[in-house]
Amino acid sequence: MITIQNLVKKYSNQTVLDINFLEIPSGQTFGLIGNNGAGKTTLFSCLLDLIKPSNGKIENNNIDVSNSEDWKSFTTAFLDETFLIGYLMPEEYFYFIGELRGLTKSEVDNFVYQFEDFFNGEILGGKKYLRDLSKGNQKKAGIVAALIGEPKVIVLDEPFANLDPTTQIRLKKIIKDLSNYNDTTVLISSHDLQDITEVCERIVLLEKGELLRDIKTSKETLKELEEYFKTRIN
Amino acid sequence: MFKTALSLQWKEFNRGKSIGEKLVAKILKWFWIVYFAFMSVMMGIIASSYGGPSMKFPIKSDSLASFEYVNGQLIYFFAYLIVMRYFIQSLPVLNIRAFLLTTISKKQIVNYSLLRTVLTYFNILPLFFLIPFSYLLFLTGEYKLGSLIFWNINIVGIIYLTNFLNFLLNNKNTLIYTIGGFLGAIKALEYFSIIDITIYSKELFYLFYDIPYLSVFTWVFVFWLYNYVKKYFLGGLYIDTGLQLKIKKAKIEDFSWLDSFGKTAIFIKNDLRLLKRSKRGRTAVYMSIGCLFYGLIFAFSEDLYGSTGSFFGYLFSSGGFLFMFGSFVPSWDSQYYPLMMTQNIEYRRYLNSKWSLMILGTIISTVFALVIYSFFGINAVFAVIAGSAYNMGVNGYLTLWAGAYTKSPIDLNSSANAFGDKKAFNAKTILVGLPQIALPLMVYYLGNLYYGHVTACFFVAGLGSLGIFLKPSAFKLIMKAYKSEKYSTLKAYKSN
Repeated sequence: MITIQNLVKKYSNQTVLDINFLEIPSGQTFGLIGNNGAGKTTLFSCLLDLIKPSNGKIENNNIDVSNSEDWKSFTTAFLDETFLIGYLMPEEYFYFIGELRGLTKSEVDNFVYQFEDFFNGEILGGKKYLRDLSKGNQKKAGIVAALIGEPKVIVLDEPFANLDPTTQIRLKKIIKDLSNYNDTTVLISSHDLQDITEVCERIVLLEKGELLRDIKTSKETLKELEEYFKTRIN
Repeated sequence: MFKTALSLQWKEFNRGKSIGEKLVAKILKWFWIVYFAFMSVMMGIIASSYGGPSMKFPIKSDSLASFEYVNGQLIYFFAYLIVMRYFIQSLPVLNIRAFLLTTISKKQIVNYSLLRTVLTYFNILPLFFLIPFSYLLFLTGEYKLGSLIFWNINIVGIIYLTNFLNFLLNNKNTLIYTIGGFLGAIKALEYFSIIDITIYSKELFYLFYDIPYLSVFTWVFVFWLYNYVKKYFLGGLYIDTGLQLKIKKAKIEDFSWLDSFGKTAIFIKNDLRLLKRSKRGRTAVYMSIGCLFYGLIFAFSEDLYGSTGSFFGYLFSSGGFLFMFGSFVPSWDSQYYPLMMTQNIEYRRYLNSKWSLMILGTIISTVFALVIYSFFGINAVFAVIAGSAYNMGVNGYLTLWAGAYTKSPIDLNSSANAFGDKKAFNAKTILVGLPQIALPLMVYYLGNLYYGHVTACFFVAGLGSLGIFLKPSAFKLIMKAYKSEKYSTLKAYKSN
């Protein structure tokens, strides 16, 4: 689904991303892990054509993302609060995203209704604009908006951070279901080893922009990752 | 405390990511301040000669008339000052949170915040009027120096009253509209000679000249108000009270009547919500309403400005919204530009929606402008239509194109920078002003010179209608500019 070749991003002389080759097959739940500055968000930004790489290219479903906009029809993302429109109410925001993806209002209503539990009654039917919601609730709205319209690729940057425990558990189920039943490719990044090993079939470890490990998740993965980061302390 | 706070402020300015732009913005701001100061001095000089046509100083015969005139107008000045302060003067109370846990006492924080406003240009600029005005009056020899000084002290006192009042008025929209409406109403009553409030204003302020020690009461009131505001803020230094950002109760608006515009409507609906719900958006709308009346300045004194001058006014009156909204595309979406760039949106559709909204706004402005300026005769109507055609046919594209190079993020929740100070830094946006304003004026001027007003209007309108045929190619160029600027725009918005 996604092919990354010779991807390099440099700021003046500092290389922040340097990935030789990475292929993510369709339907995979793919996790990125690494410390701050490892290049996780940069990689996602390149994939979404928000940053122009210094070299190399990314293909999303055989479309070179920096050359064509066609990938936008099947790709969604929630990276941070810049993906929210503050002056809209959550419903209006969902309708807006839905309309762009060719859904009618009632289709959006039906879709969003599934997430009533996830929203915990704090988002729909409230009297607040997105800008006035708490950080956690903003995140919930952003994540659900990224799920609207049956996208084939979903990119979520640190989806578990800022969420309450119950919501984290619910979100993990949602992500797993996406890849199990819908053949959706989900890309997430995280700082939490436990979270990411629980959700992702495959985990890639980045450090200073370079791909250090590419792990197919198993029972030992969590330990392996913990060992790795422990060695970084000394 | 003052020193720390000032140095923090300096760092905030100095270390901002777009220091170049900020510097130019500051310079531009000071340019305006100096300009207004100069104008104030001139007004002071002119006002002191009110009624005396010879402009020779000092004028003895009518100096009483000029003093009375100024006293009569003061009531408007203060009302106007309150309204302007409300919209422009930002309160330095928003960054207080970080200080709450430091060793600086709350009293000092509040004192600093309040005293900082003492030297704001709103309080200083009037002096540029008052001092030359009073001095010239004194030169006539008909005024007592002491009384004049106390008259000034009193006025300065009232200026400070409005200064501290502004703190209490913050975010009280209804109140400010009442004052604004009241201001308009009394002006209208005066205009139609029903009630002339200037008579009372005259009497009232003359009293402070007549009985100098009355200004003591004004200043007692100033200190009382200062203390009141101080207490008000001290009581509100909690993050769940005074420092809490006001949350407006939201309600859904679906604007489904716009759906006939098809896909374009999706964005137009959002932009309408933006204009309605964000402070910055509302300011743009108010300013475009203000522009509607801009032509009046020229229309009332065409002898002074000439017909090209009034044409400029008409051009602006229909184009207010286009300039106020259009000049900041795509910065309106700066807070969520990454979202826009990853959604299933083609640039063409996105830009087309912005353009459509600009045209829609221009059409509405034109209708209102036609109503207003129809009182000035058929020639004015022609000029408004010609200006409007040019705005729709040419300026729409130009503003949109220049927008690709406008990379100053907009903070939707503050009304600051609505005067476009930041973006003026961009050479391209200044250059684009030439074909936007200068070209139609030149065409009109030449047309008017050789063929007369009506033909000149036809020329300008013709130029505008040419634009309609050029839409596909114009959009191609605009899209190209937006695409090539995409990454640097994203970066600039991020560094907000």
